[in-house]
Amino acid sequence: MTLSQHGTEVHVPLSAPESEAVEERAAQPLAPRRRIRSGIPWPVRVVLRVLAPAAILLVWWLLSQSPRIGLFVKDPKTAFQRFVDEFLSGDPSRLFLGDATYDHLVPSVGRALAGLGIAIVVGVVVGVVLGLSPVLTALFQPMVHLGRSLPSPALLGVFFFLFGTGASPKIFLIAFSVVWPILLNTIDGVSSIGQTRAQAAQVFRIPGRDVLFSIVLPGASPKIFAGIRTSLSFALILMIISELQKSENGLGYLLIQSQRTFDYAGFWAVLIALVVLGVAFNFIFLAIERRALAWHRGATQQND
Amino acid sequence: MTEARVTENPVPPTGTSAELLLDGVSRSYGDNLAVRSISAEVPASKISVIVGPSGCGKSTLLRIISGLDEPTAGRVEFEGVPVKGVPEGLAMVFQDYSRSLYPWMRVDKNVAFPIKHLPAKERAERVRFAIDEVGLSGKEKLYPWQMSGGMQQRVAIARALASHPKLLLMDEPYASVDAQTRADLEDLLMRIQAELGITVLVVTHDIDESVYLADRIIVLSAPPSVVAEVIDVDLPRPRDHIATKTDPRFVEIRGHVTRLLRSKEQATSA
Repeated sequence: MTLSQHGTEVHVPLSAPESEAVEERAAQPLAPRRRIRSGIPWPVRVVLRVLAPAAILLVWWLLSQSPRIGLFVKDPKTAFQRFVDEFLSGDPSRLFLGDATYDHLVPSVGRALAGLGIAIVVGVVVGVVLGLSPVLTALFQPMVHLGRSLPSPALLGVFFFLFGTGASPKIFLIAFSVVWPILLNTIDGVSSIGQTRAQAAQVFRIPGRDVLFSIVLPGASPKIFAGIRTSLSFALILMIISELQKSENGLGYLLIQSQRTFDYAGFWAVLIALVVLGVAFNFIFLAIERRALAWHRGATQQND
Repeated sequence: MTEARVTENPVPPTGTSAELLLDGVSRSYGDNLAVRSISAEVPASKISVIVGPSGCGKSTLLRIISGLDEPTAGRVEFEGVPVKGVPEGLAMVFQDYSRSLYPWMRVDKNVAFPIKHLPAKERAERVRFAIDEVGLSGKEKLYPWQMSGGMQQRVAIARALASHPKLLLMDEPYASVDAQTRADLEDLLMRIQAELGITVLVVTHDIDESVYLADRIIVLSAPPSVVAEVIDVDLPRPRDHIATKTDPRFVEIRGHVTRLLRSKEQATSA
């Protein structure tokens, strides 16, 4: 009866075609795909990319030459000079950064990141809880949609009343405003993990903590990252809005101050600082996302 | 490659092989009766196959056996103990490998995941053995999506083996791969089962596959499903795709199972 107990060795050679298929797929480099997709040689692409910023600079310069608009619109050269003078310095011990950077940009960014950080923690934690429980989702959904559709700057007064005039009302305003995309995307990501994946975890008796950190969160991470990306740009907008009133420092404060003192060169310098900041934020975010979601890009490209 | 492996990796000791008993198992969803009074025995250290027409409640039955679902009547015993929740010593291979493997983990992480609680050294040893057993040595650092479907299903099998199961459940394991890969994976399964002496229960709708793999075939009827017949397959092992499938006995059993399934289908459609 026991034809095949352990010890019996029946070996079948593995099929060669399969092993080859792997090599072929795994070796697929990303670079050729990109070249095929754009179809534009790189020198042309560089020219195209430079074209729009150059046009903007030209229009800016033309406006600054107008006798009337020029009172307000300072020419690009003056504005950049002012930006360099205030936000940068030649001092290596200060990391080549100027007074305005330390006095205004750093506090602004600190508050924006603090608000965003709170929003990420709250959004992901609450999102996971709601995403795992259809009952709680149904219960809190109206509240989530109410909060999301509220124009949050309208609440600035409430936050001042609740948290005084320091940094905290600004941080909480930013957190409150940017939490929604993260929350909604986390709920969506968690609830779309898939039955088979959940079942596999159950059959292998994976403990709850591992299910949460190794299955639920990684599975939802592409959606969570998409939410954070939206929130990032919101955070910069709210950062400025929160500093327009009752503020002693920050880029929004600087913006208002320069306008009030008719220092328009200073005003344009702040705008340049904001552009630099936005680009830097996006760049850093993409670098993090690229690392964290490398598997996701690969997996979705295979399904194309 | 295969010869070298045997000397490097002695077969790990497995516990006494399990025996599974289904006694009058029924499951209904509201008024809809999915399976009706299924009684069958799955012998230890053998390959048993449940075969039936699609929609005959095979997956429902597997969910009940694996403790993910409860029968509305009857009982399931694993090693003489009634099944309540997922029992220890059970592993499962799903049909949809792309959904049951975790795309954010490399192959070795996927295989190691169910045995995360073990000490690192033993875990590494088991992962190495399991990956070797399914012929994927050297592919540990690939992601599942970098592999063909057949290789992904090998990863799923390795993951199941790493937990040292006594009972391996397979839900239509080869329904999503091409015919050649399927044949290779069937032989792989029989070799592993022979080496490790585990109990295997496969669910399939493929009659050829059921006869080729099985020591015992449990034929289900169309829903609400009952056991149409239990057939003990006495074809000699090791089996292979040419000799076994041209064996008159194979042809005879296949014809018998086909007639069973067909007559049941006609009975329900008439």
